[in-house]
Amino acid sequence: MKGFWQTWQPRHGVVIWALLAAVLVIASCWRYSAGLPLQTNLLALLPSTERNPVAENAVNTLASTAGDRVIFLVGHTDFEQAAAAARKFAQFLAQDKAFSQVTAEVPAVNLRALTGLYASHRYTLLSSEDRQLLQSGGADMPARLQRKLYAPFQFGLTLPLAQDPFGLADQWLASLPLRSFKLEPDSGLLVRHTDSQHWVLVTAQLSGSAYDGRIQNEASQAITKAEAEFAGQNVSLLRTGTLFYAHAARAQGEREANWIGAGSLLGMLLLLYRVFRSVRPLVLGLLSVAFGIGTALLGVVCMHGEIHLITLVFGASLIGEAVDYSVQYFAAHMGAGEDWEPMAGLRRIAAGLCVALLTSLLGYAVLLFAPFPALHQIALFAMFGLTSAWLTVFLLLPACLRQPSRRNPDEAVATPQRWLHTWQEVMTPKRSILLCGVLLLLSIPGWLRLSGDDDIRQLITRPPELNEQESRIRELTGFANSSQFFVSEGTTPEALLQAEEALGTRLETARTRGDITGYQAVSAFVPSARRQAENYALLLQQLFSPPQKLRRWFDEAGLEDTVATDQANAFKLAKDQQLTVAEWLQAPLSTPFRYLWIGETAQGYAAIVMPQGVRDATTLSRLAEGLPGITYVDKAGSVSALFREYRKWGAIWLGGALVLVFAVLRLRYGWRDATLVFVPTLLSFAVTLAIFGWIGRPLTLFNLMGMMLLLGIGVNYSVFLREGGVNAAATLAGVGLSAGTTLLSFGLLAFSSMPALAGFGMTLLTGIAIAVLLSPLGYSNRSAT
Amino acid sequence: MRALVRVISACQLFICAQVHAQSDDLLTRIAAQLDKHAVVRAEFAQSKQISGVKRPLQTSGQLIFARQYGVLWQIDKPYKVSYILSEEKIVEITADGGRKERLARDLPGLAQVGRVFRAMLGANTSALREHFDIEAKGEAGNWSLTLNPRQAQMAQFIEQIDIGGGAFVVAIRIQERGGDATQIKFRNSNGADTLSESERQLFGGSGKQ
Repeated sequence: MKGFWQTWQPRHGVVIWALLAAVLVIASCWRYSAGLPLQTNLLALLPSTERNPVAENAVNTLASTAGDRVIFLVGHTDFEQAAAAARKFAQFLAQDKAFSQVTAEVPAVNLRALTGLYASHRYTLLSSEDRQLLQSGGADMPARLQRKLYAPFQFGLTLPLAQDPFGLADQWLASLPLRSFKLEPDSGLLVRHTDSQHWVLVTAQLSGSAYDGRIQNEASQAITKAEAEFAGQNVSLLRTGTLFYAHAARAQGEREANWIGAGSLLGMLLLLYRVFRSVRPLVLGLLSVAFGIGTALLGVVCMHGEIHLITLVFGASLIGEAVDYSVQYFAAHMGAGEDWEPMAGLRRIAAGLCVALLTSLLGYAVLLFAPFPALHQIALFAMFGLTSAWLTVFLLLPACLRQPSRRNPDEAVATPQRWLHTWQEVMTPKRSILLCGVLLLLSIPGWLRLSGDDDIRQLITRPPELNEQESRIRELTGFANSSQFFVSEGTTPEALLQAEEALGTRLETARTRGDITGYQAVSAFVPSARRQAENYALLLQQLFSPPQKLRRWFDEAGLEDTVATDQANAFKLAKDQQLTVAEWLQAPLSTPFRYLWIGETAQGYAAIVMPQGVRDATTLSRLAEGLPGITYVDKAGSVSALFREYRKWGAIWLGGALVLVFAVLRLRYGWRDATLVFVPTLLSFAVTLAIFGWIGRPLTLFNLMGMMLLLGIGVNYSVFLREGGVNAAATLAGVGLSAGTTLLSFGLLAFSSMPALAGFGMTLLTGIAIAVLLSPLGYSNRSAT
Repeated sequence: MRALVRVISACQLFICAQVHAQSDDLLTRIAAQLDKHAVVRAEFAQSKQISGVKRPLQTSGQLIFARQYGVLWQIDKPYKVSYILSEEKIVEITADGGRKERLARDLPGLAQVGRVFRAMLGANTSALREHFDIEAKGEAGNWSLTLNPRQAQMAQFIEQIDIGGGAFVVAIRIQERGGDATQIKFRNSNGADTLSESERQLFGGSGKQ
């Protein structure tokens, strides 16, 4: 070590730093030539939660299909006008390259083709009601025949009398979950008529990802322009889609990153100038921060291929912490006065800087182990950034700060000196202990009132205006929220359908209880081969044997003789002519429902069962219990559960980290002093927790993450002060300055619209304030040296 | 020669325009005339010709058309069964009082079938015009409407509908695509302002105001 300090010259450092900075600039220019790869997708933030990879895949597929679609409702009090406006709107959007497809006109549903598929399989398909009725033997078939004959009109989808004399196929068609929404076809459009307005549906498919900034801008511009086309015509436009949320989030995130960054920077410069009254520290401080943030950005982008919005906003607040190391050097410079010698000054604070960096890195390193990609990025960003800023102090600063400070050190540190004196006078060891005791006592009721919150909404803030439009569209169209569903699996399609049917029985019960209004499943359109064989056997037993029975019924009802003969023949031919999933998938009828079929997987086949009109999601999870091949998927619920798990895990880890950091301090300072250095941090934890309890704010995983950082940052102040020795007042000025900039950054972060980041900021704001106020504890009561 | 053609074309245009104006005017008058009554009670006799059935199927019963609530279609012969058609649902009531409800929006097309049926019974021309091209003939005291489907979806099933009447609808004939046909005749129609309490209960109380 001695050898290093003797041979190392400040100019060596400058050369190395300049080289590193040049590499950074060139690499950055090259890497961002196509723009900063900014990620705004919320899903990219979330860890994979499903134990079943097929289920995890299903979540992602559903999200991306839904994500690239934009839904509009064009409304007017007059239907003709609404229809005209919708057609024009769709035409306008279709011209823009941001959309690959825009649909307003829907082709008339060919009902004949729709019934055609099922007509040829009508003897193996039965609605569950009819199946039960036939099984019980209580079906009055002649009455069914009469009803088919005499009903004043045909309801919905029906087959002709000669094909389906008892209306069994009609009942099957009626049982299909075709209608999941409240829209109806009218004049070639999908329409919802309400008392006051007529709404026409227009859907658009984006030509790229909804998270792509270029697509977002193009699509938004096109929509605004199209909207302007019918300005002043009393046309209302409702919109929803991932596009709008992602676009709003991006704009919000960029705005926040900008003002938090600008605020931190400006505050930092003002504080630096206030203390040092010189431009040089300002420039050097900026350089160290720029080098730190630049490295961090490049590091994250290179390792992750992109940077998430949340990381960027957090990164803006790292400015305040990154400048701390330089501030320590400036403080030493100022404190030394005429006796300044750059390398000696560095040497004196080196140990403190190392301990400070080590504890900070420890704090952030923990986040690396959190299973959230976003936190992983934040940790990487901070570690790269802090290490680079720290390195700047060693490499660049000694060469640039050769001249002694022109400011009278006594004058510069007069205020902190006075403050420190007062602190020392007031805080006798006895009183210190008393203060700690009182703070702890006051904290206890706060701790008792602490509660936790693991809701996924911490991550998401949605503009209320968009939310309102979405809920109106949901209400008008009946489009369901698809965050909860089931995944069914089987080694063969038949096994899958049988698994779904077992679930279907439970879902039917749930429907009669009113827990759901219905469900969509492949098995609701294509029963398993086993069930189809049962249906056929049931019809054979109840209708077609003995053959005279059918003939007698038809004769009594006045049907021609050929009907009975044709029926019997068709029935014979239908044996083993079961409907298969493959056939259904090829029929046009299945188009809107094909998303239910995932298809072949590594283990066999998979499909989705989508419950509709879910009243209470908790009852759903129980439905899948004990059913082989059925997995309940609730992404929001799974993420919340994971939050809870890691919040508890994090609390335990935090305890461990406290011990670890104390061990590092103990190595350098010995038992007694290590305790004194550590007490302010410990108290800041205690009091921060208590404050959250007192103000009734539930703790989230992100508060806990904030505490982990607090551990790294808070202990720095005591370390700096403890290391400051003879220049204690100058160091205190430095510590005050550091704390000021850090508080400013995290304080600004506390006002972020992203609840996760606000939680972070809030924790650090209160924690650091307390840690810095108590930091002289370690210095004033230190062992005599 | 050319000039003559032009004159004739002009005359044709004029005549056509006149016919249309007359037709529209008649439609308005028919609608106004039928609109007078909030409730219409009548007896009906229906004859349905279906392929595969030897004789036309005869049904008879009573009908209550309530503008606010919908239609109660009560079959007395050959067996008792009633249907209630409202905007939201279709209810089937069997002789033993069993009710079977179906929400109009649960099935594609169901809402339209119900709406068209109600519009036919009430000769609600504006509602009918959404689905059909209407040609009106005659005068307010004795008119007939010929309806041809405007949309492909309706045209898959219905070829033509004829409605005739005077102060009330007297006859409806529905010609279906597949060759089946339904003829409905109404007798003893009379108008009223309100439903009786028991009738209102059958409709399920709340009507569309």
